[in-house]
Amino acid sequence: MLKLTRLVAVVAALAALSTAALAERVLRVDEVAVGELDPAKASDYADSMLMFNVYDTLVLPRQGGPGHVPHLAESWEQSGNDYTFKLRSDVKFQSGNSMTAEDVVFSMERMQTIGQGLSFLFVDVESIEALDAHTVRISLSRPYAPFLSSLVRLPIVDKALVMANLGEGEGEMKDWGQAYLSANGGGSGAYMVESHNPQDETVMVKNPGYFLPISDMAPDRVRLRYGLEAATVRTLVAQGEHDITSQWLPPEVKRALVSDGNQILTEGGTGSFYFKLNSQKAPFDDVHCRLAVANAYDYTSGLKLVEIAEGVAEGTPSTGAISVGMFGANPADQTLSRDLDGAKAHLAQCMHDPADFSIEISWIAEVPVEERFALLLQANLAEIGIKSSITKIPWAVFSSNVESAENTPHVSQLFVTAVTGDPDTLLWGQYHSTAAGTWQSAEHLNDSEVDSLLEAGRTATTDEGREEAYAALNQRLQAIAASVYVFDRQTVFVGRPGINVPALSDPEMAFGLDSMGFAFRLIEVE
Amino acid sequence: MKAVLGLLAGRLAISTLVLAGVSVLIFGIARVIPGNPARIALGPNATKEQVAKLAAELHLDEPIWIQYGHFVRDLSRGELGISLYTNRPVTTDIAQFLPATLELVLIAGILMIGIGLPLGMVAAKYRGGFVDNLVRIVSLLGVSAPSFVWAVILMLLFAFYLPLFPIAGRIDTEFAIEHVTGFLLVDSLIAGEFRAFGNAMWHLFLPAFALSLSGIGQAARLTRANMVETYEKPYIEMARSYGFPAWRIARRYAFKPSLIPSLTIIGLDFAAMLGNAFLVEAIFAWPGLSRYGVAVILRKDLNAIVGTVLIISAAFLIANLIVDLLIALLNPRIRYARSAR
Amino acid sequence: MTRTVRIILSSPLSITGVLLIGFVVLSAVFADLVTPFPEHSGTVVDFAKLNQPPQWPNIMGTDLVGRDLFSRIIFAYRISLVLGVVVLVLAVPTGVTIGLVAGYLGGWPRFVLMRTTDVFLSIPPLVLAMSIMGVLEPTLMNGMIAVTVMWWPWYSRLVYNIVLAEREEGYVLAAEIIGASRLHIMFREILPNCFPAIITKMTLDLGFVILIASSLSFLGLGVQPPTPDLGSMVAEGAKYLPDSWWLTVFPGLAILIAVFGFNLLGDALRDILGNEQ
Repeated sequence: MLKLTRLVAVVAALAALSTAALAERVLRVDEVAVGELDPAKASDYADSMLMFNVYDTLVLPRQGGPGHVPHLAESWEQSGNDYTFKLRSDVKFQSGNSMTAEDVVFSMERMQTIGQGLSFLFVDVESIEALDAHTVRISLSRPYAPFLSSLVRLPIVDKALVMANLGEGEGEMKDWGQAYLSANGGGSGAYMVESHNPQDETVMVKNPGYFLPISDMAPDRVRLRYGLEAATVRTLVAQGEHDITSQWLPPEVKRALVSDGNQILTEGGTGSFYFKLNSQKAPFDDVHCRLAVANAYDYTSGLKLVEIAEGVAEGTPSTGAISVGMFGANPADQTLSRDLDGAKAHLAQCMHDPADFSIEISWIAEVPVEERFALLLQANLAEIGIKSSITKIPWAVFSSNVESAENTPHVSQLFVTAVTGDPDTLLWGQYHSTAAGTWQSAEHLNDSEVDSLLEAGRTATTDEGREEAYAALNQRLQAIAASVYVFDRQTVFVGRPGINVPALSDPEMAFGLDSMGFAFRLIEVE
Repeated sequence: MKAVLGLLAGRLAISTLVLAGVSVLIFGIARVIPGNPARIALGPNATKEQVAKLAAELHLDEPIWIQYGHFVRDLSRGELGISLYTNRPVTTDIAQFLPATLELVLIAGILMIGIGLPLGMVAAKYRGGFVDNLVRIVSLLGVSAPSFVWAVILMLLFAFYLPLFPIAGRIDTEFAIEHVTGFLLVDSLIAGEFRAFGNAMWHLFLPAFALSLSGIGQAARLTRANMVETYEKPYIEMARSYGFPAWRIARRYAFKPSLIPSLTIIGLDFAAMLGNAFLVEAIFAWPGLSRYGVAVILRKDLNAIVGTVLIISAAFLIANLIVDLLIALLNPRIRYARSAR
Repeated sequence: MTRTVRIILSSPLSITGVLLIGFVVLSAVFADLVTPFPEHSGTVVDFAKLNQPPQWPNIMGTDLVGRDLFSRIIFAYRISLVLGVVVLVLAVPTGVTIGLVAGYLGGWPRFVLMRTTDVFLSIPPLVLAMSIMGVLEPTLMNGMIAVTVMWWPWYSRLVYNIVLAEREEGYVLAAEIIGASRLHIMFREILPNCFPAIITKMTLDLGFVILIASSLSFLGLGVQPPTPDLGSMVAEGAKYLPDSWWLTVFPGLAILIAVFGFNLLGDALRDILGNEQ
């Protein structure tokens, strides 16, 4: 046994030596499995991290405020439903090919044909054509005000590379390069894929030919590991072998890491956490019963459940149906709070007698922290005399049960994020009557006023017009208590000291778009 | 040898039949899963048309026997369909993830034999004594906790409190070994990187040991029981009366006959380990097929479920086939007994 | 019978087994009386006592919502035992009947029944149960069904092998000569001779069923909260290692104790009833 211990010690020492010898800056981060590398199929956080680093988009969200700035596109013009983009001429793909308008057209067509991931953002794109080598015109079939923000989800793919690597498939385009792009990078991004195992790890290295300058302090190599257990991440960070944790660690573990002296990194302003009340099922078919729940919930204690350190939690106080920072949001200091008397008054007006019903509060099996919110809500409701039961539902079961209002629980807990940073992608899918029956719309809401305000927000041509529409929508959604607006989401990561991530620590540098903060080229490793 | 080949052919035929049965069984199970896999895969924002299109591509709109027909046709071309979890062909996934699991299970198997058999021998030699009881308790403890409990306890003791072993992954990130076979132990040797080999071994030890503990217990108990039985045979008594050294008796005369029944159980334990790898991989962040299996079951990823279970069952059948062959080679009598039946 | 009891009581190991099982069974049956916080087996939340290490009166600490871990572990035993007993009550008669029929009748019933058994046996047990649980909603009842489906083949294999040997015995031939019916021979003549092996296996299996069920819930495919369950406690607690070690270590040890008890007793029975697999 002694011998074994000694051997192990020697191996460990050797390992330490060789790490020190490498003067390379390495950034080690983690996410849940799997990492989808094909940008047309990217949908979750890990996929987006890959996409934003391996690929570029025409525009980028402005840091520290609303709006968009040029990226691959130098400039653009809008007339009616037509958008014309002038592209940069100095951009080279990682393969060495130059980026042209053809690539943009190809990327859009590929996204639309494959029809997965976030392709729903582009269903209204009627045509796209290359006017010349560096000019592209996109025409929409109907007005869609937030179209520019959708473009942050259109990664530009290297057409020549893909065409040279088509896999098996039917038709002229065969598989549209799906087999190739699921294992290789095909973009112009600041990082190139060195190896990719969707269940284990993606290794990326800095792209020396990137069209924008990258700091020398930026990581030379990034290791994005998938599916690490919380306990593993906790230990790796403590041993200095991991740099930034994923957001999925339980609050207790983040708390322990922060108290060890690691830094808190946050990303916010893009979504909220909701208790979705099934409006098609008694007692929540009566608005007063819904309002009773909205008033009975203890917002302050809820935030305590996900507190990471004094004053920092995995959420910020909610002010209404729209997250602070978006069009139509209420001011940050106008926070929602518990009103027991109000709750009792509403309950008295409700046509259902609390003695006659019991509420089913569900939580998603994959998100264990929701169990605590279920327990809190149960305790809160008991105080106004509403009985309830708690059920745990696996995601796959939930997302199919929710298709019918009858099988949807009274209360479903969900995090919803605006995939483009625009309130349209936050709210339409949740509250428009035509979108009912997906996991986002477990309310099964059917309210004509909400519908028309959502449409107004989409089609208003000016920012003022949109602000007005969404402010009215916010008021309406609160008046009818479609959901309990539990808190505005604030995604919390824990970083090792010595890692500098302005986009996740300085509000002036924040992108207002989920996972964009992990643009590795903007991270500094000391 | 001819008889052994005949046995092999017969067993292969039966195994194929059994595997066909497994495919029907698991296909049936996978297809009655409630919920629409196309909807789950495409997410909330997909339009009804997109969902319908994917469902049609997956043949979900057709009756189950037609679906099974598609499945068999694909299988005959060596295809298992597309996984909705990774968006890749299931065969690609299996090829990438299976070696990690097999490596883990094989090392666990070696530990099981390397530790279990000697423990059993020692216990048999000192049967009834203190050592015997100790081995008995240890091996009973080994089988009495699921491997995930052992995994947690070992990890807590030897990775957290005494940081002797790594807690996750197959190899340190500094080693960039070219993936030829997918078995890191083999690949590192091919590349001539002995330090990488040692490092991979070091990563393997805790998960493999956790996985092998119940097997070690089984192997030890069985070896002991069989050896005790052989010790009471007349020819051992004779050898003893001739004054042969005790260890020679143990090794030469008592151990070999006891090996045969042990091998049968080892085959079964190998199978159990293929299943239990599901539990250990989760704790040690082991990027293997079992972890993939759990993920796809939770996501109702039909093609991937069927593919994974088929492959694991096939590995199981092959392991048992090998064990049967070994037994036949070791002891011709069994072969005759079988053909008589 | 008295001989069996006497032999069991003569070995310290089997006495330990009896004591362990006695502890597990009695505490589970009288859980409401012996646990300090019986109401903690349900949906209770105590925000003042979240995630506390072992201390009086929570001798095994509290979980993430402030419930007493010791109380929950004892109540989890109750679920495990019910599951174990129900699974065996369902699986043993099924497996035994199939084994008897296949072994005694031979011919095509043997081919069909034993090949079907082989199909079930050639999927690693845990994988089969997982696949079934993937189909069904994770409830206690469905958990029992899934484990039963994977368990019966072991009994048909066991009984089949015994019947093959017994079929040629004198008493069976004698019964055949006097014209006893096949049913009579199978269930009245042969079956009683299988009892020692079956009983030994059942004792051992009660432990193993608990083990497999905990594995299923470890993977998130078992009994659902708030029902306390040892496997899910370990799985949930494992996220909080090494800081909150009590969340995993105590439920893990609880599984170990119960299964170890059944193993010790089963082992002793095996020695006494004198049969090896």
